[in-house]
Amino acid sequence: MLEIRDLNSHYGKLHVLRDINLQIGNESVGLFGPNGSGKTTLINAVMGLWKPTSGSINFNEEDITNIDTYNIARKGIALVPQERELFPGMNVQENLESGAAYIPHAKDELESSLENVYSIFPILKERSKQLAVTLSGGQQRMLAVGRALMAKPKLLILDEPSLGLQPSLVSELFEKLAEMKETVSILVTEQNVRESLKAVDRGYVLENGSVALEDSAEGLSTNPHVIKSYLGL
Amino acid sequence: MSKYIKTIVMAAVAVLAVAFPFYTGAYPQSIAQSVLTYMILAVSWDMLLRTGQISFGIAGFFGIGSYAAVLSMLYLNLPPMLTILIGGIIAGAIAGLLGIAVLRLRGMYFAIVTLAVAEIFRIIMTNLKGFTGGPEGELLPQLIFQGNPYLTYYLMFGMAVLTIIISEIFLRSRVHYALTAIRNDEIVARSSGVNIFKYLVIIFIVTSVIQGMTGGINAQTYGFVTPESSFSLDYTLLPLAMALLGGIYGTMGPVVGALLLGIVSEYLKLYIPYGHLVIYGIIVVIVILYMPQGIVGLAARIRKAGARNE
Repeated sequence: MLEIRDLNSHYGKLHVLRDINLQIGNESVGLFGPNGSGKTTLINAVMGLWKPTSGSINFNEEDITNIDTYNIARKGIALVPQERELFPGMNVQENLESGAAYIPHAKDELESSLENVYSIFPILKERSKQLAVTLSGGQQRMLAVGRALMAKPKLLILDEPSLGLQPSLVSELFEKLAEMKETVSILVTEQNVRESLKAVDRGYVLENGSVALEDSAEGLSTNPHVIKSYLGL
Repeated sequence: MSKYIKTIVMAAVAVLAVAFPFYTGAYPQSIAQSVLTYMILAVSWDMLLRTGQISFGIAGFFGIGSYAAVLSMLYLNLPPMLTILIGGIIAGAIAGLLGIAVLRLRGMYFAIVTLAVAEIFRIIMTNLKGFTGGPEGELLPQLIFQGNPYLTYYLMFGMAVLTIIISEIFLRSRVHYALTAIRNDEIVARSSGVNIFKYLVIIFIVTSVIQGMTGGINAQTYGFVTPESSFSLDYTLLPLAMALLGGIYGTMGPVVGALLLGIVSEYLKLYIPYGHLVIYGIIVVIVILYMPQGIVGLAARIRKAGARNE
């Protein structure tokens, strides 16, 4: 579905992504690594928010390396950004609708998508007329995920969804993600490796802009380097 | 409840505005027309502001529309109503070309470019002596509707109603997700499939057509254009002050602000000619400091506080 080949990216002279190779099929994939390892840059490159220096990104056999963000979204990739992921001045339902309003294939199924999101996150239905800013941090994150689902994506990208959430909500969010992977492919970046390993099939570990490790979730959770550096055991 | 009140107030204002010319003299009527002119400019400025883009180019498109209307009548002998439309079309075309070039700029960078546009066209009009009459401008041989003040008033009133309707459509239809997207969060909007650039160009063209047509009506009413009067910075600064006073990001705010500031400034002009702009400045400073959401925002806050106390 998504295939990244020899991707390089620079911020000025800083080489932030080095020859990244990454594939995602119909599965759920984790992208791990410390701060500054290039996770968000990689996601921004996929989404067309940041232009890589060299290499290619293919989505469903189509080169999307130099396509505008809005067109990438219309091809079926939805992003839940790290922060500021909502329209604060709109209510919950408007935020959800805005996720589908500009995606041609999602617009026609707006009502059924809305039902679907409300069934995954019932709290959003209760709060549907409330302004997005008045929701708690956890509810806002769920709204952001719901909004991305409204676009009927084939690939859902989440950038550090657990950031700033209390532990019980993090578990809940990853349970929801584990349920979703039946219907949509997922790419999730995380520093909370322990929780996210429960929700993904495979994972990549980024260090200093390169892929340091690539393995199944089980393989990663038993890998001595991962245990030492990320699981803290 | 507040919806009914809003509708009733709007209807009452509309009836008053329609009946107005029959009960007053020429002077109040000309003030009313000027208030309507600024009201249109204020609402159209706010329409672009809702996207997060600040324009200082109102006077530019107003002036372009004025000149286009007058020159197309002088050189092509077109009927006055058609020249007003041409004023709008030319302003819109220039906005389209300019927009494609500069709407990738954001915030202050975009604002400064729009400020420059007004200045550039003022200088062009001043220097194209053979075509535009240079610094003296051009006079029309006759006024629209033979100078009938009722009809010019209603023409401007019609333009104001049209502008308010367009503004409300943009606020209520699904387009508003795209139009508020940059202000809210551009990255989120782009990642949900919004072609922000396309919507920005469209809204920039629409608001410029409105400003150009308003300039056209104004030029046809008074029968002349000069670089200094048609591109006067007043047409940029007053609508801006009115929208800020009334409250931005809506239709009601600029309308209320234009009514209040328009009428107050006419009185001030009588007592302190040229000094009224100082009062303007003071009002804007006070509004920004103490009621950043303007009169309409303040009214909403008071209403909410009242509802809580009940």
